[in-house]
Amino acid sequence: MTTLTAVPPAAARRPVPWPRLAWVTWRQHRAALAAAAGLLAAVSLYLLIEGLLMRGTAASLGLGRCHLWAGSCAERAALFQDQYLGVAGLTTTLLQAMAGLIGVFLGAPLLGRELETGTFRFAWTQGCGRARWALAKMVPLAALVTGAGLAFSLLLSWYYQPFLAQRVTSPLDPQLFDLTGADFAAWTLTAFALGVFAGTLLRRVVPAMAASLAVWSGLALATVLYLRKHYLAPLVGHTLALPRHGALPWTLHRWWVGPDGRPMSASEIFAVSGRMKNAVGPRGTDADAARWLARHHYASWVSYQPASRFWPFQLIEGGWLLALALLLGAATIWLIRRRAA
Amino acid sequence: MNVIESHGLGKRYRRSWALRDCTVAVPGGQVVALVGPNGAGKTTLLSLAAGLAVPTAGQLAVLDGRPAGSPEALDRIAFVAQDAPLYKNLPARDMLRVARSLNRQWDQPRAEARLAELGIPLDRKVGRLSGGQQAQLALTIALARRPDLLVLDEPLAMLDPLARHEFMAAVMAAVAGDGISVVLSSHVLAELERVADYLIVLARGQVQVAGEVDALLAGHRLLTGPAAETTQIAERHPVVHCQPAGAQSHLLVRTGAPAAQAAQDWPGWQARPVGLEELVLAYLREPGAVTPPPLTLARAGADSKVRG
Amino acid sequence: MTIDKQTDGAGRDGSTAGRRSPIGFRLDPASGVPVYLQLVQQVEQAMRLGYLKAGDQLPTVKDTVAALAINPNTVLKAYRELEHRGLAGGRPGQGTFVQGSLGQPALPQQAELRRGLLSWLRAAEAAGLDEAGAGALFGSVLRDFYGRPGQAAPDDRGRAGQQDVA
Repeated sequence: MTTLTAVPPAAARRPVPWPRLAWVTWRQHRAALAAAAGLLAAVSLYLLIEGLLMRGTAASLGLGRCHLWAGSCAERAALFQDQYLGVAGLTTTLLQAMAGLIGVFLGAPLLGRELETGTFRFAWTQGCGRARWALAKMVPLAALVTGAGLAFSLLLSWYYQPFLAQRVTSPLDPQLFDLTGADFAAWTLTAFALGVFAGTLLRRVVPAMAASLAVWSGLALATVLYLRKHYLAPLVGHTLALPRHGALPWTLHRWWVGPDGRPMSASEIFAVSGRMKNAVGPRGTDADAARWLARHHYASWVSYQPASRFWPFQLIEGGWLLALALLLGAATIWLIRRRAA
Repeated sequence: MNVIESHGLGKRYRRSWALRDCTVAVPGGQVVALVGPNGAGKTTLLSLAAGLAVPTAGQLAVLDGRPAGSPEALDRIAFVAQDAPLYKNLPARDMLRVARSLNRQWDQPRAEARLAELGIPLDRKVGRLSGGQQAQLALTIALARRPDLLVLDEPLAMLDPLARHEFMAAVMAAVAGDGISVVLSSHVLAELERVADYLIVLARGQVQVAGEVDALLAGHRLLTGPAAETTQIAERHPVVHCQPAGAQSHLLVRTGAPAAQAAQDWPGWQARPVGLEELVLAYLREPGAVTPPPLTLARAGADSKVRG
Repeated sequence: MTIDKQTDGAGRDGSTAGRRSPIGFRLDPASGVPVYLQLVQQVEQAMRLGYLKAGDQLPTVKDTVAALAINPNTVLKAYRELEHRGLAGGRPGQGTFVQGSLGQPALPQQAELRRGLLSWLRAAEAAGLDEAGAGALFGSVLRDFYGRPGQAAPDDRGRAGQQDVA
């Protein structure tokens, strides 16, 4: 019909380069990234300031020279804790949800918004193809989220360090474990992967956010309440045999054993403690009570995870979370590939 | 070269078939109009051709035998979906850059020149452009990819008459200048007569009419004559549609006879050529009427395989 | 000989710096005349009225199509028809140019014919004929005159017009 005007020579067969696709991801999601970064920055700033203040107070109290937290050390530590522990506890409680919120907030709209608004009909018909496009969105953000999470964990560990040194909490304590080491990053990544998958599956951003947050919360609760206790078989021993210094172990379960070697029920404990109080008298010290109990062969047992297992547990939990995130990522790509318009 | 070739193509969504038994061979270098009522399957067919959807049954090849949705096909086919989806929160300049970053072939000077010509400011957010401007931007992006085939799904539906004219003028200029093939769908017929070379009519998910517009118009006549003689005419020529009008009836017949023969062939009947819109309407009113498939498919039909 | 459309050699934006056609096409969508014929008729009309002389360039396919939003094939068809009638010819790489003439009478004769028409119209008006009546009478005589044996049949090839063939 008509003569073709000269078309530029067909581009080489190599696919669209990743940096270009990464720019597209950045341009489309920079607002969300900025919001998440802003939140993290604000929290980080707070932690930094509080942490510096705490260290200043600790130094002025001379807590740096304490090794065994007994005697005058204990009193000064108590002063320190009175001032800061409440806020720190509240902070760590509030921060529990942050990993989930950031991950889901970034993940659910990533692909979900395009599916919801119909712009995928533009994106999937461009030369780069839908799988590459999806990967170019998921991978850089996943990496960013993980990196930011790791950095944040470092800051939080630094912030909380005085309390750990004073044996206020165990490093494996659920409130702290989630926020330190690699765990925070792993949970954020998982939330992100859940959000991306939900967005792709449900094709709606808000329902995807809600669903993925719900699933994430359920998973987190199940892990904290049950799963984490059993990564490695807990150790069992006398309470009195627990190490007196170094980081505090994580106590899972505590019970009393009577002279017959059996664990005591609550009513039995109540009865015995009544007898002990009578025997020791109103001015008896803890040491007297302890001696009486020992004489009568009542022993306190505890099952616990030693603090030395912090990193093994981090790796175990981080490991399976990473595997889950990768699985969700693969499932997302599979969904994208076979999804019809 | 056939830009779209399908054998027994079918697409099912959940329980119902949006497209069924679709066998077409759409030649390249032409402007192809895909018409039919709402829900006829036009969007489905175009989505399949663009690689957005996967066939449930049958086969589909685009641009001379490439599978739809393959990287080569994606490179060479520019698809503009209904309502011209674009990223509404980006300024036009960044929208162009996104398109450039997602494609291997891109003509930036051409895209910018077109937008300048159209008076679309590069700094304005896409969402704040008018409907016509957004459609033109989507078209600019599609053309800047230097495709071999341009696929437009109801591009004019949301545009006012002036915007429609400008849009089609731009498409025709691209056809004249670059020799691209165009497949566009519409449920408004009147606008297509001036632009279409080839016509496909879809109704209820099936192809009713497929052929070159000139051949179709030359091959049909509208006969007006006594109603009593209708069956006689029907015996000699396939009647597509019969419209009674009192003592007379109007018949749309398929015939290749030149108009001058009317007086001898059909005494007492008046014959006149048929317009495109009339032709399509007549076929749409008669679900059973189908134009015979073009000869180019004869060899293909023999070795088609139906999947699913 | 094929008719070439003008390529983009003169400039990317379509401007043909100094090589523009003297005429531009327009479309009458309701006239019932096939589009390509309208273009042919407009060229002939322009030639008659002196807007187009031999050697002038006809509008490029691209410009026409961009202005009228019609299929390029239609323009090519019109130019082929003009070529067939000996009125235009293509130059490869440059476009389509007017050739020959319509065999028009020279300018003084045109003026003479004009005066003759005017006096007829005055007589018709005096006889009581209005514009429509004068047009109908003239049209009928015109048809009779050109319908006499030996004249070419009216154009009805190609896209549908609404002409009765009885």
